[in-house]
Amino acid sequence: MPAIKPEPAVLLDAAIDYLERELLPALAGYHRFQCRVTVNVLAQVRRELLLAPGHADAERARLASLLGHPGERDELNRELATRIRAGEVALDDPALLEHLRHSLIEALRINNPKWIEE
Amino acid sequence: MTERDAFQNKLEAVVARHLGAPGEVRELVRLTGGATKVTWSFDAVVGTTTLPLILQQTPPERLVAPDGATTGIHGAHEAALLEAARRAGVPAPCVRIVLSPDDDLGEGTVTERVAGETLGRKINTGAEFAAVRPTLAAQCGSILAAVHRIDATGLDFLVEQTARDQLATYRALADAYDHPLPALECGLRWVAENLPRAPRTCVVHGDFRNGNLIVGEDGVRCVLDWELAHRGDPMLDLGWLCVKTWRFGGPLPAGGFGHRDDLFLAYERASGGPVDPAHVRFWEAFGCVKWALMCMHKGLGYLRGARGNVEAVAIGRRIEEPLLDFLDLITGKAA
Repeated sequence: MPAIKPEPAVLLDAAIDYLERELLPALAGYHRFQCRVTVNVLAQVRRELLLAPGHADAERARLASLLGHPGERDELNRELATRIRAGEVALDDPALLEHLRHSLIEALRINNPKWIEE
Repeated sequence: MTERDAFQNKLEAVVARHLGAPGEVRELVRLTGGATKVTWSFDAVVGTTTLPLILQQTPPERLVAPDGATTGIHGAHEAALLEAARRAGVPAPCVRIVLSPDDDLGEGTVTERVAGETLGRKINTGAEFAAVRPTLAAQCGSILAAVHRIDATGLDFLVEQTARDQLATYRALADAYDHPLPALECGLRWVAENLPRAPRTCVVHGDFRNGNLIVGEDGVRCVLDWELAHRGDPMLDLGWLCVKTWRFGGPLPAGGFGHRDDLFLAYERASGGPVDPAHVRFWEAFGCVKWALMCMHKGLGYLRGARGNVEAVAIGRRIEEPLLDFLDLITGKAA
């Protein structure tokens, strides 16, 4: 397959730009709200393209360290969730809390960066 | 005829039947907000007067509450609850019409329209509310004391939900999705290990927060959205008001507009009972966990075959917000 241009990020930027600068100011009420939500959703995908690969590797490394063995990220997350539910990890364990906070902050850098700025 | 024309015709027939001729509907506007209910604002001509009204409809396919577990309070039940609330001194909407099956508009009510602002961000930042903002937390405290005095006689449809019952509901909701989140498990376990011991039980609003209040330059004018009302621990309502999600960018914990102390003190004065801040904080923390699961339930509805409209799927991407707030609360980092 040849390299496809323009790249996804360029398409998204163009779509966001149109919606935000041209369409949104022309709308009111219900459709204005829905348009704003649509812009937010596209911006999330835009940030995910940029940030998610690095986050995934870092989270997998932290999970492997916390659980004491390597594995795929989804499986390690499942194992940690199961261990927490079973009471096998103390809820005030600093390593656990640090990992959870780190993972949530990374997700928020994609989903809603303002949440961690405010 | 467009869908909108057909809707307006139905609504005019409803007004004429319930309130009187001619029933002409003017200025019909669909309002934003309300992911479950559809809200319309309109003026109705009845006799020689024009009435400012609100229609809240729950289309039959949406008769499921955000927590997915109960059907919520609608129609005639909602009208009875609002009447009882007004008798207790709560500024609740005044119901003019309860939709009947003949009306063909789903379940819902028509209430008198109260002027004011409902958008949390505007209430927290608008210059016109600058003077009243510092008084809102105390007003909420007094209003909640009145909510908790509502006489439950005749309101048998209000089910009892203890913290333990709610935990079971939300645990089941988490288990319905194959989406294991360690932070969510942490939250559910913390709630299970910190359940309040033998709280008193009364009528609670269930969704008392900034965004569900009509605020004017004189303060809180009306308390909206009673569909999650039930009998339970009154501290739930105080904690839910403080959940960070409902602060809409405001710097202060109670609704973004006020201090916890003002809320608690006004509640104590009006109710005659003490407020234990740790007990309220339990409900604030549980509120974060509940909101995370509501986000999951709404946002992942497409997995159950629901239509993935943009507002719904976007809520799915908000799961991490309350989970981080929860961690901040239980580790003492929260404001």
